[in-house]
Order: sequence, then C-alpha cells, then structure tokens
Amino acid sequence: MIFVFIVLSAITLISSFGVVISRNVVHSALFMSGAFLGVAGFFAMLHSPALAALQVLIYVGAVTVVILFGIMFTQRPQVRRFRTILNRQVGAGFTVALFVGALLIYVFLQQDWGSTSAGHGPRTVASLGRILVGVSSGTDIFALLFEVASILLLVAVVAAIVISRRKTGEGVERRAEE
Amino acid sequence: MSVTLVWYLIVAAMMFAIGAWGAMIRRNAVVVFMCVELMINAVNLTLVAFSDYLPKAHGAGTGYAVLVIAIAAAEVAVGLAIVLAVFRTRRTVNIDEINSMKG
Amino acid sequence: MNTVSSQLIIAAIVGLPFMAFLICVLFGRRLKENAQYVGTFCVLISLVFSCFALAYVAGLLPGNVPGEGSSIQFSVHWIDLGPGGSFSMGVDIDHWAAVMLIIVCFVSLMVQIFSGGYMEGHPRFAWYYAVVSIFTGSMLGLVVSPNFIQAYFFWELVGGTSYLIHGFYFEKPAATYAAEKAFIVNRVADAALFIGIIIFWRETGTTSFSGIASAAHAGFIGSTTLTAASLFVFLGATGKSAQFPLHVWLSNAMQGPTPLSALIHAAAMIVSGVYLVSRTYNIFVQSPTAMEVVAIVGAFTAFMSATMAIAQKDIKQIIAYSTISQFGYVMLGLGEGAFTAGVFHIYNHALFKSLLFLLAASLGYAVGGSSDMGVMGGLKKRMPVTYWAFVIAGLSLAGIFPFSGFWSKDAIIAAAYDEGHYVLFALALFTVFLTALYIFRGIFICFWGEPRSEEARKAVEVPSIMTVPMIILAFLSIVSGWVGIPKGFGLPIKDVFGDFVQPSSFAQKTLHATPQNFSFVMAGISVLFGVIGIWLAYTVVVARPQWATAVGRTFPRVHAFLLNGWYFDLVYDRLFVRPAKALGGAVRDFDLRGFGGLVSGIGGAVSWSGERLRALQTGGVQNYAFAVLLGALIIAIIASAQYSFLVVALVVAFSVVAAAVGARL
Repeated sequence: MIFVFIVLSAITLISSFGVVISRNVVHSALFMSGAFLGVAGFFAMLHSPALAALQVLIYVGAVTVVILFGIMFTQRPQVRRFRTILNRQVGAGFTVALFVGALLIYVFLQQDWGSTSAGHGPRTVASLGRILVGVSSGTDIFALLFEVASILLLVAVVAAIVISRRKTGEGVERRAEE
Repeated sequence: MSVTLVWYLIVAAMMFAIGAWGAMIRRNAVVVFMCVELMINAVNLTLVAFSDYLPKAHGAGTGYAVLVIAIAAAEVAVGLAIVLAVFRTRRTVNIDEINSMKG
Repeated sequence: MNTVSSQLIIAAIVGLPFMAFLICVLFGRRLKENAQYVGTFCVLISLVFSCFALAYVAGLLPGNVPGEGSSIQFSVHWIDLGPGGSFSMGVDIDHWAAVMLIIVCFVSLMVQIFSGGYMEGHPRFAWYYAVVSIFTGSMLGLVVSPNFIQAYFFWELVGGTSYLIHGFYFEKPAATYAAEKAFIVNRVADAALFIGIIIFWRETGTTSFSGIASAAHAGFIGSTTLTAASLFVFLGATGKSAQFPLHVWLSNAMQGPTPLSALIHAAAMIVSGVYLVSRTYNIFVQSPTAMEVVAIVGAFTAFMSATMAIAQKDIKQIIAYSTISQFGYVMLGLGEGAFTAGVFHIYNHALFKSLLFLLAASLGYAVGGSSDMGVMGGLKKRMPVTYWAFVIAGLSLAGIFPFSGFWSKDAIIAAAYDEGHYVLFALALFTVFLTALYIFRGIFICFWGEPRSEEARKAVEVPSIMTVPMIILAFLSIVSGWVGIPKGFGLPIKDVFGDFVQPSSFAQKTLHATPQNFSFVMAGISVLFGVIGIWLAYTVVVARPQWATAVGRTFPRVHAFLLNGWYFDLVYDRLFVRPAKALGGAVRDFDLRGFGGLVSGIGGAVSWSGERLRALQTGGVQNYAFAVLLGALIIAIIASAQYSFLVVALVVAFSVVAAAVGARL
C-alpha cells in the first residue's frame, strides 16, 4: 500500500508542478489531467471507488475538455522564455505559498488524530447514493444540498451561455463587462 | 507501517500550495484556472481522507466532495465564458493587461 | 410694592430705554430724524416713573404708611444652583438710588432734546439715539441692582455701550483709538472688580450687597480678606470713574459726540464707579484701611487732574480733567465717611458738568465743529446765552457761594478737616484754587478778547432747541444745592437732601459718625481760594497776558508735563501696551506657524501617505490574490498560535528585503 501511495503522490505532485511551470498551455492542461488521475487513484485507495469514477468522468472527461476548448479559442503562440509566462510576483508568491503549505503541514503533524483507521468510506455506490440524498444517518442536510446543487448547475449553464454570447444588436442582452 | 491520515493530508497540503503559487504567478488566465482546479482537488482529497479515517462522520466527507466537484465544474464553465468574453474585446488573456482598476 | 402693576412700572424705568434702542435699531432707516422723538419720549416716561418711585420711597404716596417711606425691593430667581449658587435679578431702590434714577433720566432727557438740534443732518442719526437709549437703560439697570452679579452685568453693558459712544465718529482713527483705549482700560478695572466679587462670593456664598454686608459684620470674612476684596472693588470703580491710576482714557474719550459726553462723562458712566462704592458702603465702612485708600486716591486724583487741566488748550479737555478732579472729591468725601456730602456732590456735579459739556457742544457747533480754544475768542457779545450759562456753571464748579457746587464741595473739605486728614485737606483746598483757575481761564479765553478766527467772528447763538436745555440746567446749577443747605447756616430751611439721603444706620454706627456742624470759617476759606483762582485767571488771560507767556518760557518742561497729562500715557504705553502687543503678536505667530503648521502638517502627512499607499492599488488581480493569501496566512498563524512560524517568516522577510536592497545598491 505504501508503494502505491508513493507512486500516486509522485504522479500528483509532479503533474501539479508541471501545470505551473510548463511553457505550453496545452502541456499545462495535460499535466492537469494527470494530476486529476492521481487524485482519482487516491480516492480509490480511500475506499470510495464511486467517487473515483466520478472524478475521472467529470474532471478528466469534462473539465479538461472544456479547458482545452477554452485554450483553443484563446490561442497564443508558444513562448520561449519563462519571463513571458511568469509575472513579477514569482519570488514573493513562492515564499507565501511555501509558508502556507508549511503551516498546514505543521498543523497537521501537530494534531493528535487519535486512533483512526482507514476503511470507513462509502465502499459501494449505494452507500454513496444514500449519503447524497440524505437518508444515511447523520447526513440529513444533503437532501437540501443536493437540490441546491442542481439549481446551481442550471444557473451556471444559463450564465455561461449568456456571458459568452455574441452581440446580436436587438433585444435585451446581457454582455459581460470587463 | 501503514498509510496514516496525515500522509494524505500532507500530500493535499503540498498540492494546495503548488496550486496557490501557480494561481499567483502565471500570466495566462486559463492556466490560472487550471491552478484553481488543482487547489479544489487538494481540498477534495482532504475531505475524502477525513471521511475514510474518521468513523463519526458517517461518510459525509464523500458527499461534500461530490458537491464540490459539481460546483467546480459549474465554476469552470462560467469562468471560461468570462475569459472568452474578455478575450473577444481585448484580444488578450494576459491578466497583467487587464488592470483598468489601477489607482 | 407687591402688585404686579407697580413692579412693572419700576421695571419699565429700566426697560423703556432698551425698547427705544430696539425700535431705533430696527426701524432707524425709516425713522431717520424722527428717532429723536422715540428716544426722548421713552426717557421722559422713565423720568415720570422715576418720580413715582421717588415719591413712593419718600412716603408721599397715599398707599404708604403716612410720613414714612420704604425702599422698593423685589427680585426673581435667575440661576439656582443650590446654596451658595443662587443669583437673582431684581430691584432695590433706596433713597439714594431713587435720587440717582431721577438724575440719570433727567440728564438723559436734556441731552436727547439738545441732540435733536446738534446732530441734525448726520447720516447715523437714528443710531445715535439707539446708542443713547441703550446706554441710559444700562445705567438705570446698574442703579437699581441689588447684588454684585446684576451690577456687574449692567456695568459691562455700560462699558460696552460707552465703547459705541466713544467710537461714534468711527471714520476718524482717533475716535476708534479712543474707544478701544477706554474699553481696554475699563476691562482692566472690570477684571479687578470681578476678582473682588469672586472673593466676596466665595467667603459669604452670596452676592447681594446687604447679604455680604451682614455676613462681613457677623465675621464671616476675615479683615484682611475684606480689605483686599474691597480694594479690588474700588480698583474696578476707579476704572469707570476715571480715578488714578485708571484715569487715562477720559481725555481721549472726548472724541465722542459732545452732548453724549454730557451724559456719560457727567452723570452716568463716570458715576457708576462712585455709585458702586456708595451702594456697597456698608461693606466698605467695615474696613478702615479701604476707606483710607479711597480717600487718599480721591484727594490725589483731584489735585493731579486739576494741575493737568490748567495747561490744556482744548475746552473739552479742560472739562474732561475737571470731571476726573471732581470725582476725586467725591471719593475723598466717601472715604472720609461723609457719605451724604459725597453723594450730594455727585448730584450737583451731574447738573453743572452736563451743562458745561452741552455748552462746549454749542461752542463747537457755533465755530464749525472744533473745540480748540485757539479758534475762539470774543464770543461774549455774539453768544450771550452760552456765555452766561458758562459763567454760572463755572461759578458752581468753583464752589462759590451761593451756587450749588459750594454746598457740597465745602462739606467734603470740611469733612476732611474734621477727620484729621490735614494733608488731604490741604490738597483739596489747593485744588479749589486750581479748579477756579482752570475753568475761568477757559471762560476768559473763549469769550473775552478778540475773535481769533473767521468762524469766531461769524458765530451766532445756537438754536433754541439747544438753548432751552442749557437754560434749564443753568437754573438748576444755581438752585440744586439749596435743597441741601445745612442747618448750621442759620436759614429756616430744612436740609432736605441731607435728611433724605443718609448712609444706612449700620454704616453710621460703624463710622461713629457725628453730624457735622456748618463752619463759617471753613466755608469762608474755600470761597476765598476760589475767588483768588478767578482773579488769577482774569489777570493771566485778560489783564496781563504777558505773565502767561513769561511763565510758559521759564518753565517749559513743567508746562509740557502738565499738558501731556503727567506723561501717564507714555508710561503706560511703555509698561503695558507694548509688551501686551508683543505678547499678542508672539501668540498669533505661534498659532499661525505652530498650530497652523501642525494642523496642515497632519493634513499633509495624511495626503502623503495616501499617495504612497496608492501604489498598492495596482489593478492586478494576482497582486490582490497575493495580498489575500498573505493576510490569511498571518491570521492563521496568529489564530493557531504558531508563533515560531511568524518568527521564521520575519527572518526570511528581513533577509529577502536585505538581499533585495543589497542587490539594488
């Protein structure tokens, strides 16, 4: 198990790093999907196979494709130098992010997690489903959250269409202001 | 030695830090988006790790993770729509050039 | 005096002139020359009501106990802060106050009638009458005050309105200077008076005159404190009554309109000081030291200003110094314990001095506005009414028998002798000689000899609206003293004034005053000195003018010393005025540069820091994101109390900055 864990974490972290410092935008997108796959593997290790499937389907399948579409529509030529892709905050941002990460790790290490053991995740799709609709014990709120999330998805779809519409010249239109 | 909770949390923290760094320093708006997605995934990982290791939560962490995935997907859609709209008028996705609030 | 209507009548004495002021101020533009009727009418009604008050106080009204009068007293609570902190406003009219009311109203009436002719054609005619009315009202308010607070209130009003009067011709810088000088000198006096009031109030918890007197008698005030407080009050009185050392404003105050000088420098403002001393007599008599000081200051002032008067070239200046001198006499009388003689002299002096000022006004009117004696001369035939009125007033002032001034002045001098103050007696007697000398020198220069200018040659008598008040006052200058002829003179006439206006029985007891008998010897000596003065004036001006030039050539410095008022103005200027101005300038500069700089500096600092902070608003989202993350990091460190992180962060930040600075340098 440890070996698997180490491999997965290497995949994830190296991919994340790749997203940040890759000079080609498409490479960044592919690195990102690599990171997603690593996280999906983690989900599987954490006894949530349904969630791992969902992760792959939605993130690697949909989000990556959408982002690739976005890259396609906002094409820019490949750059040669790092200075073109990174702004002046590199050093300061690195320091702050380092400290944030270090603080988090420090706090996690300090905390006494008690006697915890793995294996309490929703191992079957049915149990995940029961959690999501709020019939499982202690998860009553999810009934409402589930419905709200669906409304939010509807609003997001409509908003995305409206924002990126081309101007037609008549009727009441909403154009996104910069 | 087995994998404990803390290991997952540390990985997630590092992924979050990398994502934060990337969101602060890349000039391309779409890449910033990708780094934001990285951060969201780190949080998801934390949630599911807690859900697996802490029995009292009754697996609620996984439920939250599902909802976060849904919301993140919606956010990507709307955000890219905005980026496209901005690109249409300004012909650039370089964030540094979108600074009309300066001063 | 318990019915509201009778109280209203008494209150109207003070209130009507204020109402006249309001009417003249609000409707002056429309009234123009008719303002004189408003003012005169109101003061006439006040006079009638004052006669009513006098009759009541004298016991002559049908409602009184037959044969006996009582003082009018009523008051309303004004401020009530508990024991020791309650002040009331009210009225306390005893015999002397009733007489004083009539004097002020009567002289004001004469002056307002006279001014109808004198001020004719002046663009600020209505304002003139407004100022006269409010001044009269303030003085009347002071006369009836029963306690120090109300007296101080009206005292300040009198001072303020006299500023308006002195500065009436404010187009002339000399007039504005005179108004400021009078006001500031009076301010110094007012400060002293206020200190005295505060001392009295702190020691006794009350400010009413009778209250303080009884408290002092009962021993609530230590004798040194009593003397000190009384001297402070006296210092305040010297300011208003132009006694040494605060007499310097009166000669400048001649810049005001001359008929108003007749009111304020003969019968009203000048009187307020001695009036206050006479009202608080019950307090003063309990401090023999204060009485001594009052008498000495009075006698010295009388002598000093008489010497200044004999060298003046301007008729108004002569009369001004004469006023200072005569009030010195009054102070001498009060200080010697001769209350009745002192107030009798106030009463007589009000009449003949206001007449003298009105005469100076008519002289000025006739010769085109100047009061310089160098342009007059030979007016005896041309202005007969003025001339004879002047002679009458002069004889009264010099204290010649049987004119009014004789009775009161002689009583004061005799009192000085009886009390054993022989130095003061000698000073007073010598001043009689000087008085006669200066006033008749003035008369002879103005009216005898040849006219010295074109205006004098063409002068005619003034119109009757102005001569009628003069004649009335001249008649009174002769007879006003006859109500106070002492018994010892041998005439079967009652000493009406002396019986009517007595110091309180308490004061009489404290002073161990024995009624004085009239002494023919004393009277004869003072009349003799007066006659010598008149003879000398005649000789020096008319018969042998070369003596005057000879004396002037032999003692030029003495002449300059007297002419410039013993150089008091110079001394005060060096000692007080210049340092005060320097201090004021320094404070102003400090305020401008120090505080002003501080305030603008704060503004400048804020705006500078705002400009610097503006650099933070880059408009770049990632900069803002960086700031958010940094802030969240700091809060997280503090909230989770992981301070080692903070230390490490600071060290890293410091080294990074140092490296950056090092790299740039």
